[in-house]
Amino acid sequence: MYIELHTRSAFSFLEGASVPEEIIAAGLALEMSALALLDRDGVYGAPRFHLAGKKNGVKAHIGAEISVKNPLFKSHTCSLPLLVKTRQGYQNLCRLITLMKLRVPKHAKTGQCSVTSEELAAHAEGLVCLTGSFDGPVAAALNRGNADCGKQTQRTVDWLVDVFGKENVYAELQRHFDREEEARNQAVIEVARRNQLPLLATNGVCHATPAQREVSDVFTCIRNHVRLATAGRLLARNSERYLKSGDLMRKIFADLPEAIDRTVELSSRLAFTLEDLGYEFPRYSVPDGETMTSFLRKRTEEGARWRYTGMHGMPTYERARPQLERELKLIEKLKLEGYFLIVWDIVQFCRREGILVQGRGSAANSAVCYSLGITAVDPIGMDLLFERFLSEERGEWPDIDLDLPSGDKREKAIQYVYECYGKLGAAMTANVITYRGRSAAREVGKALDFDDDTLSRLARLVHTWEWKDPKDSSERQFRDAGLDLSNARIRKFFQLYQMVQDLPRHLGQHSGGMVICQGQLDSIVPLEPAAMPGRVVVQWDKEDCADLGLIKVDLLGLGMMAVLEDSIQLIRESYGEEVDLAHLPQDDEGVYQALQTADTIGLFQVESRAQMSCLPRLRPRKFYDIVVQVAIIRPGPIVGNMVHPYLKRRQGREPATYAHPGLEPILKRTLGIPLFQEQLLRMAMVCAGFTGGEAEELRRAFGFKRSEARMKAIEVKLRQGLQKNGITGKTQDEIVLAISSFALYGFPESHAASFALLAYASAYLKCNYLAAFTTAMLNNQPMGFYQPFTLVKDAQRHGLKVLPIDITRSDWLCTIEETSGECGDGETGEWGDASRRLAMRLGLKYVRGLSQQSGEAIVRERSRRAFAGIDDLCNRVAELRKDELRKLAAVGALNFIQDGRVNRRDALWQVERVTRAAGELYEELLEKDGDTPLLPMSVTERVDADFRGTGLTIGKHPVAYHRAELTKLDALRAIDIRKLRDGSFVRVAGWVIVRQRPGTAKGFMFLTLEDETGVSNIIVTPRLFDRYRVELVEHPFLLIEGALQNQDNVISVKAKHIQPLSFKVAATASHDFH
Amino acid sequence: MFACIHVPNLARSLSLADFAYGFSPLVEEVRSNTVVIDVDGCELLFGSAYQLATDIARRAKAPKVSGGLEGPVNVAIAENPDAAIHAATRLKGITFVSPGEELTCLGEFPIEALESSLVDVEQKVAGEITETLRLWGVRTFQDLASLPVAGVSERLGQEGIRLQQLAAGKTERHLKVKQPAPVFSNSIELDHALNELEPLSFVFARLLNQLCATLDAYALSTNELKVQMQLEDLTSHDRTLSLPYPMRDPKVFLKLLLLEMEKHPPAAAVKAVSMTCDPVKPRTLQHGLFVPLAPSPDKLELTLARLAKLVGDQNIGSPVLLDTHRPDAFSVKRFVLENRSDGRKRKRKKTDDERAATAARKPPSLGFRVFRPPLRAVVQVDRGLPAQISAWDKQRSVYGKVVEVAGPWRTTGDWWRDDRWARDEWDVALQLGKAGSEQQAIYRIYRELNNGAWFVEGNYD
Repeated sequence: MYIELHTRSAFSFLEGASVPEEIIAAGLALEMSALALLDRDGVYGAPRFHLAGKKNGVKAHIGAEISVKNPLFKSHTCSLPLLVKTRQGYQNLCRLITLMKLRVPKHAKTGQCSVTSEELAAHAEGLVCLTGSFDGPVAAALNRGNADCGKQTQRTVDWLVDVFGKENVYAELQRHFDREEEARNQAVIEVARRNQLPLLATNGVCHATPAQREVSDVFTCIRNHVRLATAGRLLARNSERYLKSGDLMRKIFADLPEAIDRTVELSSRLAFTLEDLGYEFPRYSVPDGETMTSFLRKRTEEGARWRYTGMHGMPTYERARPQLERELKLIEKLKLEGYFLIVWDIVQFCRREGILVQGRGSAANSAVCYSLGITAVDPIGMDLLFERFLSEERGEWPDIDLDLPSGDKREKAIQYVYECYGKLGAAMTANVITYRGRSAAREVGKALDFDDDTLSRLARLVHTWEWKDPKDSSERQFRDAGLDLSNARIRKFFQLYQMVQDLPRHLGQHSGGMVICQGQLDSIVPLEPAAMPGRVVVQWDKEDCADLGLIKVDLLGLGMMAVLEDSIQLIRESYGEEVDLAHLPQDDEGVYQALQTADTIGLFQVESRAQMSCLPRLRPRKFYDIVVQVAIIRPGPIVGNMVHPYLKRRQGREPATYAHPGLEPILKRTLGIPLFQEQLLRMAMVCAGFTGGEAEELRRAFGFKRSEARMKAIEVKLRQGLQKNGITGKTQDEIVLAISSFALYGFPESHAASFALLAYASAYLKCNYLAAFTTAMLNNQPMGFYQPFTLVKDAQRHGLKVLPIDITRSDWLCTIEETSGECGDGETGEWGDASRRLAMRLGLKYVRGLSQQSGEAIVRERSRRAFAGIDDLCNRVAELRKDELRKLAAVGALNFIQDGRVNRRDALWQVERVTRAAGELYEELLEKDGDTPLLPMSVTERVDADFRGTGLTIGKHPVAYHRAELTKLDALRAIDIRKLRDGSFVRVAGWVIVRQRPGTAKGFMFLTLEDETGVSNIIVTPRLFDRYRVELVEHPFLLIEGALQNQDNVISVKAKHIQPLSFKVAATASHDFH
Repeated sequence: MFACIHVPNLARSLSLADFAYGFSPLVEEVRSNTVVIDVDGCELLFGSAYQLATDIARRAKAPKVSGGLEGPVNVAIAENPDAAIHAATRLKGITFVSPGEELTCLGEFPIEALESSLVDVEQKVAGEITETLRLWGVRTFQDLASLPVAGVSERLGQEGIRLQQLAAGKTERHLKVKQPAPVFSNSIELDHALNELEPLSFVFARLLNQLCATLDAYALSTNELKVQMQLEDLTSHDRTLSLPYPMRDPKVFLKLLLLEMEKHPPAAAVKAVSMTCDPVKPRTLQHGLFVPLAPSPDKLELTLARLAKLVGDQNIGSPVLLDTHRPDAFSVKRFVLENRSDGRKRKRKKTDDERAATAARKPPSLGFRVFRPPLRAVVQVDRGLPAQISAWDKQRSVYGKVVEVAGPWRTTGDWWRDDRWARDEWDVALQLGKAGSEQQAIYRIYRELNNGAWFVEGNYD
């Protein structure tokens, strides 16, 4: 019997080649009852190792190889393998790692990051130490190779015994058929016998199987920035660092059977597993005389009375009470009061600081969350399923995600959490970046020493467009790229490329997940610095934290939240009105009118081309329709072929049917079509007999980081369950497709409802407060689906007057100004009376190349005294660089500095003078301001300068200047084609503002063309795409001929011929989705 | 007056500068297809400036063998070289820019034509000027020329003024006259093909003398000499002498070349010989006062060349261990004398006492004598371990019973290449002679894992 107690996984980042699950699987195949994982300076892989072990009945011992400053040899760092014996030991290990990691920046070099011998001594309790391999302290002493080496070895052993105690130090022996190693072993045996230390055989495993040695070598090359051909002795001497069977190890250590026996004995001493983590969610400090339970009940009741008023169609408090009581009881039973109160506290902080906050995800299924103000969707009114959020049977922690305005305000909330729980009490969850696609191709290719051209071709094999042809076999992809798979080197690349897929590459930071802990989080999981200053991350990712029962709070940044928050502020300041997002009118006619006609540019979640093409068919009439609309245009429902059946059923063109009678209660609300995640989970439970836990496992298997093997395993299980319940053949396939295709991309109903609220709010603000909404949108760019130019043109078409950038009026951000009441560009306004007298002034932020510091300095100086001229501006604003002044002049921002007496060219002429000291020679030749020999800019030049300088123009649409030429070419305007019959042959021309080739569209490409009257949608078949690839991908202005498709007021042109137009405008780039 | 000749599509084989020397000795090569010549004083030879331009255009149309350029050229005559260049590059045929009328001729030229005049200016400044002119809406030479000089000077500085003068066709400058580049090649065509080395050596000597004289004239040396021989069978025989140090001694070159020719004789008689060398700065060396004298580089090269002739190129040099786990991997690199000029930096020699102390600290180690090539062996294996070995060749034989064994020591590698290796090594103590004999020797044996073959690699002293 043998147990491997020194194993390194791929979570040692480029020092191991197998994931923890592979190691456990290999151990299981070799009938090992336990295994230990000792990754380099971390326990990154421990949760996966533990879970895999638990699943397979293999005891997973935890440990790590810790970098320690050798006290005997100055400036030498050795690697000390430590195994965890007790929970105290685990906590000490985590603290040691945290100490070393937090001392240095994230990307510290090897050797910089280590613990001192004093720190080691202070945290040695509960740990077992092995004397280590070639990089261990004993090897370091033996490698001295001088007469003192015997003494040094003895001193090293004394040090270890002193720190850990004699019973916790094992003389480690590894045999990889290496002369030097064996010489070292003999010395270790001698010193162990002299000091009566037990001998322990290990194999220093770096990969589960011998074949993975190749990956290990490639990783060595990546780590050392060398090629395989030049790596030399950095590479492994042989392939012996794989997981070996007990019999083989016993044969290798035939002369030292006690070293093998000792592995079992030591394993029995290592009582700790991650099951015994000791994590506790922090308690919320309540006022004297209160308990967390009573405090939560009081806050919930207060909130519920405020929320459930019975007015505006809301349920009454009495109706809500039973549900609240049920939820509170469960919360108390699961001892989660602290969690709810802490999230409530964060929400309260945001409210105090004026930060807009809204819960999303499954938390929206909870009436308690709604009452506490955490979420904004009423689960009782919408009949949402509480169990999706919290279930006793599922035995897992709830998940509350908070949406915050992206940027500084979100950071403020994160820093509040750090402040409350201390730097070592809270941290962000990690995001393990794995080798995938291009990164894998490039790095493996580099190791194999491919030239740059081949590397580029290899990287290109990974498609840029989301769409992937099903005929795209790997062989075909390689052939298309001009790579011959019969070539040994290319074939080796292909093998290695596949082997490194999904192996961890480095640790990133999750976008918003925070873990907090009662007491010290660094005793639960090691912490390390994030790349962002002031941030700390744990060594586990979101899934690992969830698996080990660590509760996290997601503080996510959402651009639209920032827009809504800014809009409310702008409305307050400019309209003098107070808008409460929680109490918006529910049935605003304008909102539904805009949604039904797909007039949704800038609106949250419903502005994409796909959403726009669906809206006129779905024709939302009430809030729940928006919930469906948000959920339906997702890759899941599209791949699962659920969109068209749902729309047909909604339009009454086909009856609602159910694949199985048991599905009727689940799917009735969505006309027999599964659209929400909850429905899929319940389908799996009802039809395949999955338990709640299994259903959740299914959701995770199809989760963000899809693993082919995991998905396959769960699909087999699903089919077995369906078979058992008598669901076979086509029905089985339909249900499996529905579940597998969108368990990932389908929204939970509550999540969709939260997003629908934001969608409704954005539509309401756009329809009623266009100036404020557009201003806020422009101030929070980049975000959303469209470029600022499109947003401005859309707002202008709706009647908003947009004022130019003016150094005498513009702030850094866009602002709202009172005007005489004319509409922009003389077009008729449609929306919002208030917008007719309010105009939007573009901010200095939109001058490309102008720094915020300079922009704010201009505003600051102007507030003191108006600028008398360009000279004055230059003299007073020292921050302004010459190129910035030139840019301001080019976009016309200096035109108004002398009461509008200068044009752009005058300003440009003056700017060049004021930024150069004239010198004495020219004193007598000084020009008068405005004395310019340059001609004013023509209209085309102005548009060109606008686009170059700001990326947008507030004048006519660039296409409008060419309308006469386009009319000669029989090109119609976007507005004109709406009146034509389905099937008409049309020509449209415009500026390509969006290009899309989604993975779900079977190779079709979608373009959005914009002209002065609006947008037109173009459909390009895969064949046409191949023919006109260059024109479609590279040309900003296109003339397209094709058949008009007008189905249910969804208008598009199916392109037959494409022709580029050469308009001389510096067009901004389109928004391309690859 | 200056004449600019511009050939829009000049064939690579033609030299416009050479053509221009036919009209004036003062030639500035602006680009390979544009030259300017000073035509003052050419009236007696070619008549008026217009006649000269016509003559240039006429002769340019002539074929190459007659000294022409085989096609039409643009010729512009102006009072200054830059106006002539601009006119010739933008206008077809013959253009005569009358003094004082430059702007009439150049005014409509696009401003981008001036960008090439900014090549000497710092890239950032040049970019700024171009961008400023674009923003000002300055599109033609006329636009720029008509701006007030003081205004342009204030805004764009001296570079702006220069551009404005260029646009107005009002610059004043001398030609940057083209100097012919030195040639470091030489060739000879023989009346009768030579098939023996001795007469060929006279040809080599002549060429080398001339080549080294040119190098000497420019105070240069060479470390690479290329010799190309045209043979009677219409093939060529090329040799390259690569030297570790630059030299220019024709005698040394000749000896080296003759040795090289002896090693690699041509397949047929030689009809023509050409030699080219890459000129480099000569090596300067200050010998140290206490540094022992080393053989001079040229003598060393000759000695090495003689040795290489005897033993083969691959078998001479210094062995270098390769950075790999592959057993016995080494290469032979060219023997080069170390530069010992900086004696002060060298480590102090250890004294005898220090050497003795170091030896005492080091653990004793065995010397290993490698058999080259290794001895193919027959090995009897007992429970995976070698038990009996017998191996022999013409020089030596190894056989006996294995009394002690250590191993296997396993190395595998280069798995990404076709010549990957994998082998197990053992250190074995063999009982020599008959059973009961106490005479033992220690050998290293190994087994190739891909084919199972056994070898004796060497013995320990």
